[in-house]
Amino acid sequence: MSRPSPRTVRRLIGLALLVLWEAIPRLGILPELFIPPLTKTLYVLWLDRAIYAAALLVTLYEVAVAMLIACGVGILVGAVVGGVASVRNLMLPVFSSLYAVPIVILYPVFTAWFGIGSESKIAFAGVYGFFPVMLSTAAGIRTIDEQYLLAARSMGANLPQLIGRVVIPASIPTVLAGLRLGGALTIIGVVVSEMLTSADGIGYLVTKNRTTLDSPRVFAAIVIILALSVVFDLAVRRIERRTLIWQTAGRRERPMAGGARGPVPAPSVA
Amino acid sequence: MQHLAHMSAAQNAQAKTAVEVRGLSHVYAGREGAVPALSDIELDVPAGRFVVIVGPSGCGKTSLLMMLAGLRPPSSGTILCDGRPITKPDPARVGVVFQEASLYPWLTAVENVEFPLVLKHAPRAERRARAEAMLKLVGLDGFGTRYPHELSGGMKQRVSIARGLVQDPPVLLMDEPFAALDEQTRMTMGHELLRIWSQTAKTVVFITHSLTEAVYLADEVIVMSARPGRILDRIAIDLPRPRTYQMMATDLFGRLRERIWEQIRTSP
Repeated sequence: MSRPSPRTVRRLIGLALLVLWEAIPRLGILPELFIPPLTKTLYVLWLDRAIYAAALLVTLYEVAVAMLIACGVGILVGAVVGGVASVRNLMLPVFSSLYAVPIVILYPVFTAWFGIGSESKIAFAGVYGFFPVMLSTAAGIRTIDEQYLLAARSMGANLPQLIGRVVIPASIPTVLAGLRLGGALTIIGVVVSEMLTSADGIGYLVTKNRTTLDSPRVFAAIVIILALSVVFDLAVRRIERRTLIWQTAGRRERPMAGGARGPVPAPSVA
Repeated sequence: MQHLAHMSAAQNAQAKTAVEVRGLSHVYAGREGAVPALSDIELDVPAGRFVVIVGPSGCGKTSLLMMLAGLRPPSSGTILCDGRPITKPDPARVGVVFQEASLYPWLTAVENVEFPLVLKHAPRAERRARAEAMLKLVGLDGFGTRYPHELSGGMKQRVSIARGLVQDPPVLLMDEPFAALDEQTRMTMGHELLRIWSQTAKTVVFITHSLTEAVYLADEVIVMSARPGRILDRIAIDLPRPRTYQMMATDLFGRLRERIWEQIRTSP
């Protein structure tokens, strides 16, 4: 019998976890207060679907705006910090240190400034997601191979062409990695701030139902947050695959052509 | 495609000296004051000539090439190419092939070759046809859709050469283009370069560390001294063309190589 593929094994493990989720509380191994059975969780999710849908919309709105801010401002600031040496020397140590600060301690300040509505969540999550985007954009631009720029100049590129045709494509892989991390942090920032001080959103539902010890409804909210993170991750991976096609193109189908010696055999294509 | 060789030959026939360097010196600001890098370089490269520059590490060969390419301004002196001064990069007059593969990994081979034409906003069909013709010239017909990571080291440098030639410049500058290749590929690429050169009639200024490569390729070898770089000697390589690998075993080849080595070894 052949060894099952990693993908199959992953799926089996996932399935086993779901079965355990159902079985452990049903068999009385753990009380339902700790882990409500999967079916019960899904059932309350269905019962309260209007409430959860409304809360999800609020959360999605906050995540979307916060991501726009984090990515937009992060890329802009990162480009300046990475591209301009004097700004970099001045600011990069500061930003790197700030990144290490647990920004969540600032959240009470944000609620004081922006209230307990969506604005404080957006501001907090935007700041939270900003740092990885900014730092990786700066790193992506700073680590561009000098040779790429020299070659482009020798071919007559002006500054806009250098930026548009060399700097941007060369830094895309690093920037995308930052967007992935920054986006995930934005989701975390929104949910955490909703859990702390809020009157709406999925995070609020977690806190509210926890205080009434309504475990199935807490887990129902958790399921939605998990789904949100997974969908985000899949979307970013898809974008990465599309944008970075040149890193992997043809690796599977086309074996590398032979050495440079002698006349090179032409492939049938093109 | 028109016959590039004929066009270039006609151009070169008009301007007898492709590259003229007059009183070129360069001083750069080091940590402990001014460091003289190049001192009083005088150089004439006749059109269509294959000139190789050799010298010890740090003799300013690469600095000189950067200035010929218009990528770095000299402290003093002038550089003329086709009778007109070089003050900034001009890929229509001077093509450059760099040491490391400086191809863009996010572009296919043919997109890399047409890159200089894209910068000039040449029409798509025209630049694509031109790039395909260049790939054919360097022996990579049919490899246009490959990305650099799908090509071997030698093939990448072929693409670099095609890119350097795509605007049909009369002068091609090459900064140790084969230094990163293994010995066999390097020999093959040298031979290939001579074939391409004979088909295009370019003026080539080629920098290398390898004395064998220098003698094998050159019409004339220019020996530079250690810093500050000066021209120590100009050695005409009167081996017949086309060059063959067998020539490397001849006495003449060995004597020429020896003479260059003596110059470098005894330079202060």
